[in-house]
Amino acid sequence: MKKKQNNKKNIAITVTNLHIAYRGLKKTSIRASWHKLKNKIDIYEALRGVSFEVEEGKILGIVGQNGAGKSTMLRAIAGIFSPDKGHINLHGRTISLLSIGVGFNKKLTGKENIYLSGMLLGFSEEQISEKIDEIVAFADIGEFIDKPVKTYSSGMYSKLAFAITAILETDIMLIDEVLSVGDKKFREKSYNKMKELISDDKRTVLIVSHSLGTIKELCDEVIWLEKGKIVDKGPVEKILPKYEEFMS
Amino acid sequence: MKKFFTNIKKYYRYAIRSAKAELKSEVADSYLNWLWWIIEPFCFMLIYTFIFGFVFKNHTPYFASFVFIGLTAWEFFNRMINGSVKLIINNRDLVTKVYIPKYILLLSKSFTYVFKMGISLLITFALMIFQHVPFTFNILFLIPIFIILYLFSFGIGMILMHYGVTLNDLANLTHIVLRMVFYLSGIFYNINERLHGNLKFLLLRANPVAFLMHQLRNVMLYGKLPSFEGLAIWFGISIVLCIVGIRIIHKNENSYAKVI
Repeated sequence: MKKKQNNKKNIAITVTNLHIAYRGLKKTSIRASWHKLKNKIDIYEALRGVSFEVEEGKILGIVGQNGAGKSTMLRAIAGIFSPDKGHINLHGRTISLLSIGVGFNKKLTGKENIYLSGMLLGFSEEQISEKIDEIVAFADIGEFIDKPVKTYSSGMYSKLAFAITAILETDIMLIDEVLSVGDKKFREKSYNKMKELISDDKRTVLIVSHSLGTIKELCDEVIWLEKGKIVDKGPVEKILPKYEEFMS
Repeated sequence: MKKFFTNIKKYYRYAIRSAKAELKSEVADSYLNWLWWIIEPFCFMLIYTFIFGFVFKNHTPYFASFVFIGLTAWEFFNRMINGSVKLIINNRDLVTKVYIPKYILLLSKSFTYVFKMGISLLITFALMIFQHVPFTFNILFLIPIFIILYLFSFGIGMILMHYGVTLNDLANLTHIVLRMVFYLSGIFYNINERLHGNLKFLLLRANPVAFLMHQLRNVMLYGKLPSFEGLAIWFGISIVLCIVGIRIIHKNENSYAKVI
């Protein structure tokens, strides 16, 4: 993918020395926390010192085995986790983690849920009002949009959820496993929409996927994570063969 | 602190919308619908008035209104505390998928409780008219009193919300404490008449619910002025609790997703 070759690269995401450990706050009871000071809590380090930069408009794939820390990293970049050490700088860009059906209230209608979910993703009521027709059209679930979400089939549910995240766009999109939802027709449509979304010049995308085919097709660059550390990073053509070899 | 106000500004519309959504879904499929919001407090009032007015022969003037004012304040406090303990865990889906300042969840919840308290207050007014309670302008002092009640509950709520994430059985403890506070707040008896000496002195000052309830009754039923000194002190304490709560939440909120 040829992009404007400015001398000054526009960096969209800077991650420096990111450490994330699961510990500290741990579920416990009042009785257990009485003795807590004595017992050491086991610490699981999900990420141990990851640093990288992503240029604006690039599509970055993240590969690695289960438990390598991929999803943890996405969530940290989205601001859901706080890093234990290190920094994440988004240079003032808006970001969203593409996830399905956040903040849905099943007793309310589809339209009301579009507002709820959209506002949670950080959009204002006005912005959503502007886009709502587009969302409804894309979701394509007919008159059900005015019925309570609990009456939806699971396919309709995910169609609506996908439409919300796909139409309300942010500067940076984080995608955890490329979504395949709905029937075949909708799957194709959503895959194409996804491609259209992420190939936007201004949009920076991070994709976590186990499907190397998807990564090959969509991404410019790849980061290979293993046990919380970066094994290698670089262009897709260079990294993927190595990774495939490692995995086989 | 600045972060708190920018967050509130950014998210208060979401909080309102989600509160409305919750209220709507609460009544969406019940037969009597929103009437429950009136029927429920009204029936509770009847029960308490019957038991403590007739069975225990209470002669407090305007007893039904007296009970209702107590219930209004108590129900709000009770809901806030109970609601906050499990708030993060009940919103698991949300907390693990998007970033949202966690006190916005409490704020939104509190709006639904304020709404219910508003209904309960309206019933109180109706009852007061029905019982011919003499009207004075001192009743306007109920506004600052309710504000203090809100701030106090919100502060405690934030702190409990935080510990509720890590302590599984905190809810059990709060249930017991709440039950104790319930009986020690004089909702259906007059602390002034029934208790004497140190206990009365202590309860009316050190128990914020009892104190605020007493002030509410003074301004609403008996045309008295509230204790400005006491209100100022509890206002101060509430602000401190809120600041502590906000600090705790800011420091820890991004770790909640790892725990639940």
